[in-house]
Amino acid sequence: MSKALTAAQAPGTTPQGGAGPRADRNQVWRRLRADRSAIAALAVVALLVLTAAAAPLVAALEGQDPTTYHNALIDSATGGVPIGPFGGASAVHWLGVEPGTGRDVLARLVYGAQISLSVSLGATVVQIALGVLIGLAAGLGNRLADTVISRSMDLVIAFPSLVFAVALMAVVPSGFPRPLLLMLVIGVLGWGQTARIVRGQVLTLRGLDYVSAARLAGSRRWRVARREILPALAAPVITYGVLQLPLNVAQEAGLSFLGVGVRPPTPSWGQMLSSATNWFQADPAYVLLPAVLLFVTVLAFTVLGEGVRTALDPRAESRLRAGIERRRKKTDAQEVPA
Amino acid sequence: MTKSRAAVAAAAVVLLAGFTAACGAGGSTSSSAPAAFDPNACQGGTLTVLNHRGQGNFDPAELYTSGGGKVPTLVFRTLTTRNHTTDGPDSAKVVPDLATDTGEPNQDATVWTYHLKPGVKFEDGTPIRSADVKYGLERSFAPELPGGPPYLRDWLVGGEAYQGPYKGGELASIETPDDSTIVFKLRKPEGDFPFLATATQFAPVPKDKDTGTAYQKHPVSSGPYKVVSNDGGKSIQLDRNPNWSRAVDDQRLACPDRIVVTSGLDQSVINQRLAAGTGDDARAVTTDTNVDASVLAKLNGDAALKKRVVTGYFGETQYLAFNPKVKPFDDARVRQAISYAIDRESVVNAVGGTAVAKPATTFLPDQPAFGYTPYDYFPAGQSGDPAKAKELLAQAGYPNGLTITLDHSTVTGDGSGPEVAAAVQQALGKAGITVKLEGTADDDYQTKYQKPATEPGLFVASWGADWPSGGPFLAPIFDGRQILADGGNYNSAQLNDPQVNAEIDAANKITDPAKAAQAWGRLDAELGKQAYTVPLFHPIYKRLYGTGVKNAYVSQWNGLYDLSRISVK
Repeated sequence: MSKALTAAQAPGTTPQGGAGPRADRNQVWRRLRADRSAIAALAVVALLVLTAAAAPLVAALEGQDPTTYHNALIDSATGGVPIGPFGGASAVHWLGVEPGTGRDVLARLVYGAQISLSVSLGATVVQIALGVLIGLAAGLGNRLADTVISRSMDLVIAFPSLVFAVALMAVVPSGFPRPLLLMLVIGVLGWGQTARIVRGQVLTLRGLDYVSAARLAGSRRWRVARREILPALAAPVITYGVLQLPLNVAQEAGLSFLGVGVRPPTPSWGQMLSSATNWFQADPAYVLLPAVLLFVTVLAFTVLGEGVRTALDPRAESRLRAGIERRRKKTDAQEVPA
Repeated sequence: MTKSRAAVAAAAVVLLAGFTAACGAGGSTSSSAPAAFDPNACQGGTLTVLNHRGQGNFDPAELYTSGGGKVPTLVFRTLTTRNHTTDGPDSAKVVPDLATDTGEPNQDATVWTYHLKPGVKFEDGTPIRSADVKYGLERSFAPELPGGPPYLRDWLVGGEAYQGPYKGGELASIETPDDSTIVFKLRKPEGDFPFLATATQFAPVPKDKDTGTAYQKHPVSSGPYKVVSNDGGKSIQLDRNPNWSRAVDDQRLACPDRIVVTSGLDQSVINQRLAAGTGDDARAVTTDTNVDASVLAKLNGDAALKKRVVTGYFGETQYLAFNPKVKPFDDARVRQAISYAIDRESVVNAVGGTAVAKPATTFLPDQPAFGYTPYDYFPAGQSGDPAKAKELLAQAGYPNGLTITLDHSTVTGDGSGPEVAAAVQQALGKAGITVKLEGTADDDYQTKYQKPATEPGLFVASWGADWPSGGPFLAPIFDGRQILADGGNYNSAQLNDPQVNAEIDAANKITDPAKAAQAWGRLDAELGKQAYTVPLFHPIYKRLYGTGVKNAYVSQWNGLYDLSRISVK
């Protein structure tokens, strides 16, 4: 979090608002390209998104679908373990079948990716939108508004959101589309940090000369917010959003794991992991696949997020390094007289 | 400090032990000596019971047991009990326990008389009198002590309005003419009364030791063991009761000196510990957890492990229930179509495969004691007959299929849970029926479907035997006078057919269990034609026990080995 804040404290790169970011875009991309781990992560993310988007195609290529039961492929007498090594993997079912039902694992994984990615993306958008709006209001409003909003931010951040999410998911009537509900619940419970960062940022920005100039020139408050402050917020908000996304992937999986996510037969990784806990001895492959996929997704998004942050604000990185350097020197200096 | 460090060290040792055990399971198990079991040389040692669910309040008034229960029967003796002494068909029969016989009925089975055996005593040495049995029964009517079976309230004269001994004085329909005689007056004929008398509510409670809701902490024992410690039913330690002897009890052997019940354990952990059998776990059993896939997969290659798995049958049916008050289930052809379309193979696989479940086409469990009469009016074969289902739907006016909602509980690994619901969903999908799933958390789910006003049109339910007879299996589900508008209703079809009601009354009058079974079987076969339910499966109990456990045979009453007969020496 402190990293994101330092990144946010460098609006100097785009002093003129509108024109700046456009000019910088090439530069950011160049910096990102130079970061090899970020590019690798971007490739993984692109592959995941593509697979998820083309889930029906991937399943059709394999000749399977995620809902058909294959009772002949599992051994009912031993509890429904898939017949054959590695979870019953074969030329027909490339990653094997699900224990207990015989449903195709690959098809379920790629359809599960759809849910996982769309829900986490949607939730991030909700979080960022709410966070920016509320943060702006706090930063630009009067003292009373700022106090009230800041305390409610504290409340949202301190709130045991998982427990509340479970309760909320269970209460909403079943007619409501589940993926949308997941997005809203994760989003509405997770805007606190974004809002706090945006507020801090706005408080810094509104004291800067170019903002004062705009205000003195007679611009109204919301025009100042839109034209002068919002563009300068883009960098920290994008950074924060990309870093928030993997957390939302994990959050969605967690809710599905607890049985309040999407409804069967819609597949999701969290659901697969949840049912896999009973099978980790009898059919380890079934645990491994969704777990690895979830791990790779979260890792890829996190690495990409770090890369984007560095590319948007390379000075934060150098400041960080300088800070470490300084601290090291300080301790060295302390050690000498001792 | 030292304490917490010791605890950490202990935890580490336990973890390590668990780990090595999990890795080395199978090879090292020395086969338990198959020498003939000698009841006279079986005494000593500690038996550990590893369970998933807690016992709840250990008060004889609040327990809801079948045949006296598994742990409760060690502490509470009742007027009658299930036959503990055999694993044959006779184990599904009632035998006298505190009483000298299973009860003397009058001509029309509305008055039942029992006499107590001489020499029976409480754990403090006081003799057990008929008044103690009466008082124990009266307590179970107290609203402060809920949880027991509903039959007493329904059957005993004045039972409906009686509020228990704390507020309501005595219940006049239970008479105790002398210290060893007790007489029950029922408001209708009930041939199954001896079965009901196996419930813990029929255990004696000394009035001067009754502490109301606190009694569950230390209930006074009439059986071979007394309660030494009890943590709200989560962990219970039982030690030998010196005032009990085999001379006054021919049902229980009571071999171990001590029995320790531990619950709240994860089901896979229970199986791992029993399979590994290290330390105290060698002398351990479980009364509530089936073997899972991790054990089942090993059984064929591991003869020693296989020997330690016992298989039993408890009378229970998992089924889809229709509410014909909700469209389109008012149309018999729709209900029949769903019966044809059902894929029992997928459902059985969803709950753990053929080792732990058996496809069902009848509502009554497939054991003779219930009056099992085989029928399959809507043959779905192994995995459903979608063609026949489509045909019926077309006749009913749904040539292009229809969309329905299936309610289920959200408890995973349970017969009413999402796995079963998903299996039903995909099977009906093949017949053009789009099924929307509606999951509800367990307690709310029960409340929802047990109230006619909120009862869904189609839901997954189960019914287990209070005792092995057709009566308690069919009457609560199909007796029109048992439709309860305020909740606790199990007549999900809300069927109130005078002819069915009359047949239930006629069967209840029969005091000969074999003849009663025939009557119940006939009724079930008739009701099946209406397709008010789609029977899915009967569960099979497959339980593992430790390497040092002897004399673990399975009762046909509850499908389980009997704690009162097991030895660990």
